[in-house]
Amino acid sequence: MSSESVKSGRPSERRRSSRFAWLFDPKLLTTAAGSLVVVVLGGLAQVSFGAYSMTFAQAWGAVFDPQVLFNAQAWNAFLLGGELPEMSTESLIVWNIRLPRVLVGIIVGMNLAVSGAIFQAVTRNELASPFILGVSSGAGLMILLTLVVFGGLSAFLPLIAAAGGATAFLIVYAIAWKNGTSPVRLVLAGVIVGTVFNSLQTALFFFADDIGIVQSAIAWTTGSLTGTDWAQVRLVLPWSVVAILLAVVGARQCNVMLLGERTAKSLGMSIEKVRFALSGVAVLAAAASIAVAGIVGFVGLIVPHVVRNLVGSDYKKVIVGCLFVGPALMVGADVGARLALNPVQIPVGIVTGLVGGPYFLYLMRKKQNMGEI
Amino acid sequence: MVFNVGSIRPSNGSEDAVDDASTSDAPEGGASDLAGEGLVLGYPTMEDPVVDGESIVAEPGAVTALVGPNGSGKSTLLKGLAKQLDPDDGSVLVDGRDVHSMGTKELARKLGLLSQESTSPDSITVEDLVYHGRYPHRGFFEHVTEEDQQAVDRAIELAGCEHLRNREVGSLSGGQKQLAWIAMVLAQDTDVLLLDEPTTFLDLHHQLEVMEIIETLRADSDITVVVVLHDIEQAARLADRVVALKDGEIQARGPPEDVVTEELLAEVFRVDAEVVPTDRGPRITPLRPRHEDEDDADAVEAKESTEGEARW
Repeated sequence: MSSESVKSGRPSERRRSSRFAWLFDPKLLTTAAGSLVVVVLGGLAQVSFGAYSMTFAQAWGAVFDPQVLFNAQAWNAFLLGGELPEMSTESLIVWNIRLPRVLVGIIVGMNLAVSGAIFQAVTRNELASPFILGVSSGAGLMILLTLVVFGGLSAFLPLIAAAGGATAFLIVYAIAWKNGTSPVRLVLAGVIVGTVFNSLQTALFFFADDIGIVQSAIAWTTGSLTGTDWAQVRLVLPWSVVAILLAVVGARQCNVMLLGERTAKSLGMSIEKVRFALSGVAVLAAAASIAVAGIVGFVGLIVPHVVRNLVGSDYKKVIVGCLFVGPALMVGADVGARLALNPVQIPVGIVTGLVGGPYFLYLMRKKQNMGEI
Repeated sequence: MVFNVGSIRPSNGSEDAVDDASTSDAPEGGASDLAGEGLVLGYPTMEDPVVDGESIVAEPGAVTALVGPNGSGKSTLLKGLAKQLDPDDGSVLVDGRDVHSMGTKELARKLGLLSQESTSPDSITVEDLVYHGRYPHRGFFEHVTEEDQQAVDRAIELAGCEHLRNREVGSLSGGQKQLAWIAMVLAQDTDVLLLDEPTTFLDLHHQLEVMEIIETLRADSDITVVVVLHDIEQAARLADRVVALKDGEIQARGPPEDVVTEELLAEVFRVDAEVVPTDRGPRITPLRPRHEDEDDADAVEAKESTEGEARW
């Protein structure tokens, strides 16, 4: 596993190293470094450009403004919703308007990538996405219901969407259950729930009487980071921390699940419990992202593919890789979403889709093994 | 090289006792026995059960071979014993305890199964695959221990895949893959080992490798082995006891020389063959398949007219 391992006279020496030796795999480190560069550049672009023009130097200066960075009151305002202290206009714009959007993009990217990776392991299907088990259909239906029918509940839209996604997942599991489930049954149940809920969702579009509502609904169902600020960071951060920690810890279970059910069972894994627990973590991450960014497609599908192509299929490395590549894709796409048609902002889900298709085309033409599990 | 079972026992705070290291030549009287009682096993897609009320006892510390024609239920019986298939009736006991009363990891420490076909991600190395065999011995957060490393090294050595340690499983030949999977099951360090047709898809060299591994297990440890084999001669040579099945029923059980007879081959396998005892076990020379409409008398006549030899 550790790539510095070569056939040596004392094979047991290699493993006795620290439990995090696998983290220092050169491929993983390169992937992480590359992604960090993309995130930093993307973030820099996001904070520098916009309606209020400022130079790179000003923007960079504002990001590292010590008056904000080391100001307890400022962090209290950001993370706990308190009062903002006095700060320069540049700092205000960067810290209060532009930077939180980058942060939300990073967190959502991590969530979606990790969620997709887990679902691809649980369903043993490399075309699985975070939304394969009904999560997007449930959320989408609830979004449309809230916007079109129950207008008064719009303030609670994030929570309703997330709850809808989680409930749809439970319905999928219940449908697929027959003395246990299997990857195939889960995917089929996901299709069943998906088709029904998606049809209902589309039907609701007909009853929207206001183009504004329709655009809002489309932004939610395609995924958009427009208008996200610290409130969204506060909303998504605790759930994401929990979900990501659990995902990292559960990566070893994913590895064993990839050996097939029969082998995993004979090794003593309680398949149903582990599968449900892992799916639950993935749904938590996906639902949290839906709550702040809507249903962003392709990130959860492409990123695990890319990461597996780069670091191999050891899920410990895959999950960590997803934590870096996911934000890179998300922030990169968001730069396009926000600045491509300046001043009009398009939903980031459109950009990820435009990136996703060509990426798979490249994969098909170039590679023999397409990120296979 | 001695494969010593007694000195490796899990020490992960579970209810399993921690044994002292035993001497290499005299394993403690702890050979596990595996018994299936009145097992009724079937598949959801089929109306009638495949195995209907059969009982089987695997001799502790020895090698028991399950043989039979296709569809005789030998794999089904093995899966029932391995708890891969839940019996409609009857129970499976390991050391007197019902397997359904044991936790999954606890059972996995006692009983290991090598399936007929196994899948894995292509890019996993053999060493990593063998480490997965330690899953039942590791707690959720536990790191790889010294004990795990030793078990893995021992398993790789016994399975003869030291030279494949760092190769990716996807790049191996069928025979080499099988050795890697055997190493994984051996690393699991169980008291009972069930092997489902381990030699069926292998070339002759790897078939003999696998047989040698089983022989070493028998000689140097007290693991109870139950192996399903298609090749009756291999079974007769390898096993201490042979159990022959046909249509889900056990037709004969006992030492190979008693079970592997020309009558058994005729009745159970529908094959006319010559069985000659040699030093290495019975030598079977198949002559012709038995056809549906023949009865014993015709077949005996046909045979004696071509050989005229005294029967065994």
